[in-house]
Amino acid sequence: MDKIRLMAHLVAGFPDASGCRAAAEGLIEGGASYLEIQIPFSDPSADGPVIQSACAAALANGYSVSQALDFLESLHRDFPQVPLFVMAYASLVVTPGVEQFVHMMAQRGVMGLIVPDLPFDRDEGLAEACAHQGLVSIPVAAPSMRSERLERMAHLGRAYLYAALRTGITGTTTTIGEGTLQFLKACAAGGSKVLGGFGIRSHTQARAVAPLVHAVVAGSVFVETIQEAVEAHRVSRSASFKGSIEVRDTAIRENIRQKAQEITRGE
Amino acid sequence: MGEKGYFGPYGGRYVPEVLGRAIEEIEEAFEAACTDRAFQDELALLQRDFIGRPTPLLYAENSSRLLGGADIYIKMEGLAHTGAHKINNALGQALLAKRMGKTRVIAETGAGQHGLATAAACAKLGLSCTIYMGAVDVDRQQPNVATMELFGAQVVPVYAGSQTLKDAINEAFRDWAASFADTFYIIGSALGPAPYPDMVRTFQSVIGKEVKEQLASRGLEPEALVACVGGGSNAIGFFSPYLEAEKPRLIGVEAGGRGTSLGDHAARMTGEGARTGIVHGYKSRFLLTEEGQVAPTHSISAGLDYPGIGPQLAALGRSGRLEFRRASDEEALEALTFFARHEGVVFALESAHAGAVAINLARSLPKGKVVVVNMSGRGDKDLFITAPYFRPAAWAAFLERELAALRAHPSGIAPPPSSGTGLENARGVAHSTTSKLISSPTSREVHHG
Ligand SMILES: Cc1ncc(COP(=O)(O)O)c(C=O)c1O
Repeated sequence: MDKIRLMAHLVAGFPDASGCRAAAEGLIEGGASYLEIQIPFSDPSADGPVIQSACAAALANGYSVSQALDFLESLHRDFPQVPLFVMAYASLVVTPGVEQFVHMMAQRGVMGLIVPDLPFDRDEGLAEACAHQGLVSIPVAAPSMRSERLERMAHLGRAYLYAALRTGITGTTTTIGEGTLQFLKACAAGGSKVLGGFGIRSHTQARAVAPLVHAVVAGSVFVETIQEAVEAHRVSRSASFKGSIEVRDTAIRENIRQKAQEITRGE
Repeated sequence: MGEKGYFGPYGGRYVPEVLGRAIEEIEEAFEAACTDRAFQDELALLQRDFIGRPTPLLYAENSSRLLGGADIYIKMEGLAHTGAHKINNALGQALLAKRMGKTRVIAETGAGQHGLATAAACAKLGLSCTIYMGAVDVDRQQPNVATMELFGAQVVPVYAGSQTLKDAINEAFRDWAASFADTFYIIGSALGPAPYPDMVRTFQSVIGKEVKEQLASRGLEPEALVACVGGGSNAIGFFSPYLEAEKPRLIGVEAGGRGTSLGDHAARMTGEGARTGIVHGYKSRFLLTEEGQVAPTHSISAGLDYPGIGPQLAALGRSGRLEFRRASDEEALEALTFFARHEGVVFALESAHAGAVAINLARSLPKGKVVVVNMSGRGDKDLFITAPYFRPAAWAAFLERELAALRAHPSGIAPPPSSGTGLENARGVAHSTTSKLISSPTSREVHHG
């Protein structure tokens, strides 16, 4: 069977700095073509419970944006072949200043930004700043959009377009129907590479979507996999015994690798 | 006023595309309703008979005499049905929801007053109602939770984040993203993505219009109008007829809480950590960390501790038309006592912040000047916060007695509910007892947990 191109979503700082590094490695080993790193925000209003609680856990642990920048930098250094996208909410982008935020990302080798609450026609200069500094800003399309608006978005000339496969939040299951097909066609109409996801957790789903998109996106399923590994090893975020952290991180990497393979190859 | 949906640099509609359609639909429906005679007539009738409008404008004669300066007048919004100005907006939006053919309403609430108002409006109009409320707020506003359930609403406690209003808003957005085909989201203050700030101001402007007429009929010219500012709905409604004029002075009062450091107050215009940002779908002033995380807030009043402020008020503050002050927890309690003692009026803790500033202002102004303070709500709901403060021992004894009685007769006079106590119900553990006992056409199963 052909390998499916996967964009894997990960919450920076979850379960902690070393654990999320292990998860990123597992994703890359498991065949992820792209990584989408979410910077934890206090009010992730477009995310489902799984990602929301991962963000909250990272923040409760004191994880900061500057730690996320370090994480991105080290990933890019060690895996320069894997494109890194960053997902963040508007508040994290506009508070330091859009230009400044994009600059920080450019310096760490980030390729693109996804900011769901900065719609493409009201993005506070995000796309322009990205274009200036050699990044792509990736708009997010939803099936409920008016067709004229979707058409406008599809023809912005962006390298990538993110397609949320159904209305609602991340994390619940999605069925792929005739409507989905039409929607994805409309997304691709302007020549952008379409990244499609929301609720993908199995190979069967990924297979159904793969022919219609450039890459399939999955996220909550990996957060859950990390959570399971953490729980199995009962190492809390505050564990001080280094050896146990290493054992746990190995488990995270291994479980994530398997899950990514399962989604991309059905193995 | 500049670009549509903006107030100077603030406002806008910063929402994920998934919510774009839902908001466009509301914008169209709201614009149509504004010029629809039948809608306006129905609203006016309900305002009169259901809300009890107009609310009185009370001359605080004793207080004014004691303070020795300007005359204080109190706009008695607390006499509106359900005890606060929130009903003006909740009813307006619920009526709009009905006009749009929606069958279900969701709302978020902090103090519980907006939830209460929404639940009442939904009961009146036959709409199903789900209220999101931070778990901390559920704990401190039990009387309102109980009443919301009595109105048939499902109260869903939110355990995420700081477990207060901002987290309830996130949860409402999540629900809405999946449910807007049949569901209308009633936002409780003059904030959120456009057109909410305009819509909320429009429905709340009834306060200011009445004040203007009531003053005119007594031949009075106000020197200053004072209102508390949580999100800013009572303030913007109260100020609305005067925004374009140069007088009177318009004063918004934020929660000064227990101190000036970030985390101890909710002063988005005057406090430490106040920055321009984009949160919850609009651009305004928020209490944020340097990185842009939403900062914790504190106020003795659940209705004032939201980390953002309505964009129009932020713009008016920036342009200088609006003055911002703060009142501390202590000052609010003092003002509450003062008006209770001398006027026989118990302010809501939120409104008492405005009361505190009105007292200082009246003192500093000469006799004959008029200061109008908006009592946005009355204080019944706060008894569980204020009574322990004013009479701790007696209150503790009362609660212990009540608890003992409840344990002895868990069900009161009603048939015993199948599981748990009323308290568990209020926390959303079990579904509302009332809807188990009486199956009403509007009661429905848990839609979203
Ligand atoms: C009585 C009362 N006043 C004021 C407020 C603050 O809200 P706003 O600033 O929107 O009027 C609330 C909010 O719950 C309230 O219950």
